[in-house]
Amino acid sequence: MNGWVGRCLRVNLTEGRHTVEELNPALLETFLGGRGLGITVFSHEVSPETEPLSPENKLVFSSGPLVGTGAVTGASCNVITMSSLTGTIACAKMRGHFGAEMKYAGFDMIIVEGKAETPVILSISNDTVRIIPALEYWGRQTSETEDMFKKSLDNQWAARETFLVSIGPAGERQLPMATIINDRFLAVGGAGIGAVMGSKNLKAIAVKGQHSLEVADGDRFVQVVNTLINKLNSAPLTSQSMTQWGTAFLVGLCYQKGILPKNNFQQSSVSLKNISTDALENAFALRSRGCFACPIACIKKTDMKHHAYEGRGMVPTYLAIGSLGANCGISNLSAIGMANMLCADMGLDPVAVGGTVATLMELVEKKIATAEELKIDLRFGNENAVLDTLRLIATKKGHAQRLGPGAKAIAESYERPDVFMGVKGLPLAPFDPRAIQGMGLHFATCNYGPHHLYGYTFIDELLNVHEDSDPSGIEGKPALTKRYQDITAVMDSLGLCNWPLMGLKFKNFVPMVNSCLGTHYTADDLLLIGERIWNAERLFNMKAGLNASDDILPKRFTDEPIADGPGEGQVSRVNEMLPEYYRERGWDEHGKPLPETVKNLGLED
Amino acid sequence: MPRIKIDHVKCTGCRHCETACSLNHVANTANPRRSRIRVMRDGNRYYPVISGPFVDAACTSKQLIEIEGQHYDMCAFCRASCPEKPYFIEAETGIPLKCDFCGIPPSPSCVRWCNTGALELVED
Ligand code: SF4
Ligand code: SF4
Repeated sequence: MNGWVGRCLRVNLTEGRHTVEELNPALLETFLGGRGLGITVFSHEVSPETEPLSPENKLVFSSGPLVGTGAVTGASCNVITMSSLTGTIACAKMRGHFGAEMKYAGFDMIIVEGKAETPVILSISNDTVRIIPALEYWGRQTSETEDMFKKSLDNQWAARETFLVSIGPAGERQLPMATIINDRFLAVGGAGIGAVMGSKNLKAIAVKGQHSLEVADGDRFVQVVNTLINKLNSAPLTSQSMTQWGTAFLVGLCYQKGILPKNNFQQSSVSLKNISTDALENAFALRSRGCFACPIACIKKTDMKHHAYEGRGMVPTYLAIGSLGANCGISNLSAIGMANMLCADMGLDPVAVGGTVATLMELVEKKIATAEELKIDLRFGNENAVLDTLRLIATKKGHAQRLGPGAKAIAESYERPDVFMGVKGLPLAPFDPRAIQGMGLHFATCNYGPHHLYGYTFIDELLNVHEDSDPSGIEGKPALTKRYQDITAVMDSLGLCNWPLMGLKFKNFVPMVNSCLGTHYTADDLLLIGERIWNAERLFNMKAGLNASDDILPKRFTDEPIADGPGEGQVSRVNEMLPEYYRERGWDEHGKPLPETVKNLGLED
Repeated sequence: MPRIKIDHVKCTGCRHCETACSLNHVANTANPRRSRIRVMRDGNRYYPVISGPFVDAACTSKQLIEIEGQHYDMCAFCRASCPEKPYFIEAETGIPLKCDFCGIPPSPSCVRWCNTGALELVED
């Protein structure tokens, strides 16, 4: 097979058995791989009524067909399960090297089911699959786990080539905001997935492999990849901004446009001290780190000589700076960096945990919760309190227990659900939807909760890469949102990272896909696959009990205008855009896919 | 004579060079374990190494290397396709590998795909 390996590994932890299965070629054609294939397999095998933390839930690790072939940014592996935070289907994106290594080990997909009696590590080395007892790893931070596991291998050369995905103490304690860590970086959008992994008593998965992957037309493929690398090099964002600072370069831009929120979305961050790129460069010694086959290398590590970093820290991304920093009123970059590193070590999702802290801070500010009661002085801007909270949440000790259930549950426990700034149980990624309308629509409708990395509308709304789209206007936004949601779905399924869209058009990828896989897709064919995936996810969520009433932004965004800054006076007009969005999608007025839409996409049961 | 200059500080560990090399040597095949350039990892750092022939002399002149305060065993950077270190022994055939400056001149295929400047073609 070209691109795909064509095999899936199924591991049953209850019985301690594994089997190897062939993947259905018809499904590969209609869903490609990665996210699409993972969703399909998951929704066929797991009932939407399943309790997320029960042994009946499954974890699907699904790598795309382009991963590991050398396709530009072909690094993405998706993890699909039902999240205990949102109660919806969840799909984390892991880039780094795990996905590629998984394919070299001979598997496109790993399905983990059941529950081990005691903690285990799943170790896959070529065709040898072992379930190893891991009691001594339990309670360890993710970086420690990785080091310990590698030291335990007989062959130190092989250890260097082994890649791990693991959970930290937060996942072990099944906190709904726990995520998974892959090769020392946080999986994107993984809130709740760490808890599921923890509920299975699975501490980590290690892979290493040496199988070859085939591409259909090697000569053409190499040529196309050359062209794409050159194109990325001539685009300013992918050749300069992203390579220099990673996504953190967005901080300055969002700040200027009033999109970066402050204090749980109560203000825009114009009144915060500048936390943009210059400050970043002063605070950290930046060095680039790339995911597999990525010419952009947007991940920044630091060898900062701070004792706490010990030369291993990752520089915070836009997401971390926004969620753990600005939105908690913090502008000290080294504190934010420390918070980000704590998240990675403990296995916490920065968006989910940042949102939780911000919610509590607002409750304290409004004098609904008190410092005495919380035993921690959670005022906006108190960086030490945030760092303490992160440590406490993950260990779930004492008074920190009440922080564990996440932002929504906390707001509800104080009978102030209105201070929870999130959708479907997940706090909002740090974009104020009042100042960037298309993103607001995406936040309301995203199948995974309000996360900007499942619909990159800001590439046009904020960066104007492919078209000039005014962030404050709503005209054409439903179509734009749909388009980016579909593009993201299909790129995740191919196994490509989405950031190259800052320098390449979607159609530029098509020759790479075809020469690699030996297919004859057009850009429209691929977009249709994206649409199919989006609808499949929607249908699953609806069966799990979600409906149009979950496509709603918190009242703050639709009723209260932005108080200050460049976006002053704006509100989100999401409710005006929703009907048109539903029409664009071929859904009825209640957001349910129409029978003909379902039929056209081939999604009938 | 043209040579490939390696600047490990610029290397991002993306391994695009590895896939480029294998695609060039084995028709339609991507597999870092069949590549003649490999990126050694040490914690957060990456060191590309280009393979060469194995001679006993390499092992007798080993020294401890210090880079930015960290000490390394010379084996980690050794380019010999030696039997001790499985990096430059082709996985599927057992053949020792050696860089042959492949690809379309002037740039060898790994240099062409390395986008960070970690690999560079130089004349001297
Ligand atoms: S020059 Fe050619 S053979 Fe040598 S490492 Fe680069 S691609 Fe491989
Ligand atoms: S392609 Fe360049 S940056 Fe990437 S791993 Fe190879 S040498 Fe390092």
